[in-house]
Amino acid sequence: MKRLRAGAGVSALGLAVTALSACGSGDTAARPAGKTLRYVTVGAAAAATNDPHGGIPNQSDLVRFALMYDVLAKPRADGTTELRLATAITPDDKLTTWTVKLRTDAAFSDGRPVRAADVLFSLRRIHAKSAENFGRFTMFDVAGSKVVDDHTLELRTTAPYAEVPRALESITFVVPEGTTSFDKAPAGSGPYAMAGGNLQNTVLERKDKWWGGRPPTERVEIRAVIDPQARAQAVLSGQADVASSVNPATAKQARGNKAVKVVRRAGAVMYPFVMRLDREPFDDPRVREAIKLATDRQELLDKVFLGYGKVGDDLLTPNDPTSPTGIPPRTRDLSKAKELLRQAGHGGGLNLTLATTTSYPGMDTAATLFAKQLEPSGIRVKVVNEPPDTYWTKVFAKRDFYTGYFGGIPFLDVTRVSLLSSAPTNETAWKRPAWDKAYAEALATADPGRRKAALGELQRQIRDEGGYVVWATGDGLDLTSSRVADLPTGPGFESSFIERTRLTS
Amino acid sequence: MTRLVLRPVAVLFLVSVAVFGATELLPSDAAQARSGGRASAAQEAALRAGLGLDRPAWERYASWAGGLLRGDAGRSLVTERPVSDILAERLPATLVLAGCALAVTVPLLLALAWLAGTAAHRDSRAAGLTGGLITGLAAVPQVVFAAVLAVLFAGLLRRLPPVSLLPAAGSPLAAPEILVLPALALAVPAAAYGAVLLGGGVADTLRRPHVTAAVARGVPRLRVAVRHVLPHLAAPAARVLALVAGGLLASTAVVETVFGYGGLGELLVGSIGTRDLPVVQAVAMLAAVTVLGGLLLADALAAATGTEDAR
Repeated sequence: MKRLRAGAGVSALGLAVTALSACGSGDTAARPAGKTLRYVTVGAAAAATNDPHGGIPNQSDLVRFALMYDVLAKPRADGTTELRLATAITPDDKLTTWTVKLRTDAAFSDGRPVRAADVLFSLRRIHAKSAENFGRFTMFDVAGSKVVDDHTLELRTTAPYAEVPRALESITFVVPEGTTSFDKAPAGSGPYAMAGGNLQNTVLERKDKWWGGRPPTERVEIRAVIDPQARAQAVLSGQADVASSVNPATAKQARGNKAVKVVRRAGAVMYPFVMRLDREPFDDPRVREAIKLATDRQELLDKVFLGYGKVGDDLLTPNDPTSPTGIPPRTRDLSKAKELLRQAGHGGGLNLTLATTTSYPGMDTAATLFAKQLEPSGIRVKVVNEPPDTYWTKVFAKRDFYTGYFGGIPFLDVTRVSLLSSAPTNETAWKRPAWDKAYAEALATADPGRRKAALGELQRQIRDEGGYVVWATGDGLDLTSSRVADLPTGPGFESSFIERTRLTS
Repeated sequence: MTRLVLRPVAVLFLVSVAVFGATELLPSDAAQARSGGRASAAQEAALRAGLGLDRPAWERYASWAGGLLRGDAGRSLVTERPVSDILAERLPATLVLAGCALAVTVPLLLALAWLAGTAAHRDSRAAGLTGGLITGLAAVPQVVFAAVLAVLFAGLLRRLPPVSLLPAAGSPLAAPEILVLPALALAVPAAAYGAVLLGGGVADTLRRPHVTAAVARGVPRLRVAVRHVLPHLAAPAARVLALVAGGLLASTAVVETVFGYGGLGELLVGSIGTRDLPVVQAVAMLAAVTVLGGLLLADALAAATGTEDAR
């Protein structure tokens, strides 16, 4: 039987090899170099969508929308407002009626001009999807807003709101009026149009006539790849030009590699530790302060973000233009922390449970490290690692002590979702009528300098009395081949606008 | 004939109920996935009602199954895109990958099973060793195997790409080099697993009186193998292959993620995460149909070769 076995085995193996080589042979498709930007970014198949007005969890979808559609305005990397489809956004005296002038040279890819009616239709859609887009347009009275003429519209706000231009520098992607089906992508007026592929793997080609001028790169290919390591490998092996959002470890490894570079986007992520003010023991301000004082921020920054970022000072939006300046930084003070705990009646020690998850790289490390840092002050923290798929519905905004997340969003957005008494996920139970009132007053202040100061003061209060331990802000890290230039460097929404990104060779 | 029709229908029904039930037991739902946990209770309730998730489970199941019978797989609860569109984007890539993996798996599986079976037939020590090796191979997690392959072929030898990004437009076959590592990572553990299942059958067949008699009569060995052994193995082999093929279609998630290959597996995992029942059901049913189709084929083969008893 021996010969028989060997013979059959060898021929079967031969078959296996033949089959594999059949799968593995053929010409490698030629890639047009220099003309095509191959951009690999975060995106899950289960969330891929053509609808630019909902939640848009996939960065791959957001980047595609930013290339295909025009927005009224967008933030610059420094946080100031860049007008796009809008040419002017001006208020009345009461700051409740805003006139938005539109450019007249914008057109959808099917040739129709972009009119005020298309814009209002899109804004109303965004408003209707409040539950999915974190209530992005809840400050507007969209029913009371109206079209004035083809290129002018009048927007009403529900209360005086001096920051309307900043409210409009978000997902104000304009689709043609009356679009009801998003099974296929509606026509857009942006710099690029879809030329092939699908939502996971898109080919876009530039338009010759975009109002903003012809983009430098002829084609952009966007690929959604969920695994950060696979994204980085794509660039390292020359299969892609840009890998957005790679891990700090990858960025560090790439330091000596001349073929690639790392683009850092300051203030892109933070994993603050969240304490609920309406639960024991965090209802005692001395306990909160003690925990803030016991935190070793530099160590957290060095070990979680590997130094890619900036030490945090409990300010929730340090990169926002309205963030207060000149506050003396918090330094670690264990003896003061211990003294505060003793005053609060926890001289014999304090037992806490801190929840964390693995949704974003390093969240679990941060929690474990933080727990260790609190120990010398007599705070014993038990860290529980919760599954990522239910963390944002079962733990976030529900538990009294957990690891949170903010992705580089501005102060006004943080306020709307997490700080106002009426905010749907006021995760720290920061419910102070006086603070809410001061916020409303700041937004009713027409003078930019006074408004900035007022908003800054509100942020300082949260820093000193609130339930957030913001130990650092981490950089967004994009890995690119060395021939990529002009990649966006803003923390959040701005980084989706890659129409000026180009290949130098 | 009724058995041929009724049994698969009953099995598909049970599979769909089991998948539905399992997702039903998971905490949280698609409405919460859509709001990202950042909507008020009232907003979430409105979203839930809009999606029809406030209806009782049996009613939702009935309307989904009813739709399927009319050839309508429904819409995603998360993105509201037609499920058929979503699947059409991912299925071809996975079919190509699973097909390549299967092309490697089948001969490898048969070779390994033959090795295990003949070893068992000869003596027990060799059997223990060979069996142990094959079982060990089957037990290596896909992710480990994928990582080892990537380090070896993409890292050290620099012969193959470390990630398998699909070509921007068109079929993965336009860039066949991307298929090699993921296909191997899928095929080897699957082949070893199948060989464990089939090895016993090979040993049993070799022990059959007509085989030993043929060998005793001095019939040439290759002829013994082709005439007396293989026909008896056709049906069980087809059954094992059916299982392995179905498994390949549904278990590509890990390999797809490691190699950045956009296929069905990643969609399945993501859709379970967002509790997107219509999508989960569709993928599960596809895998079930593949397994069932293969099993029916195996039955037909068994009937044709008269080896019904070989199970």
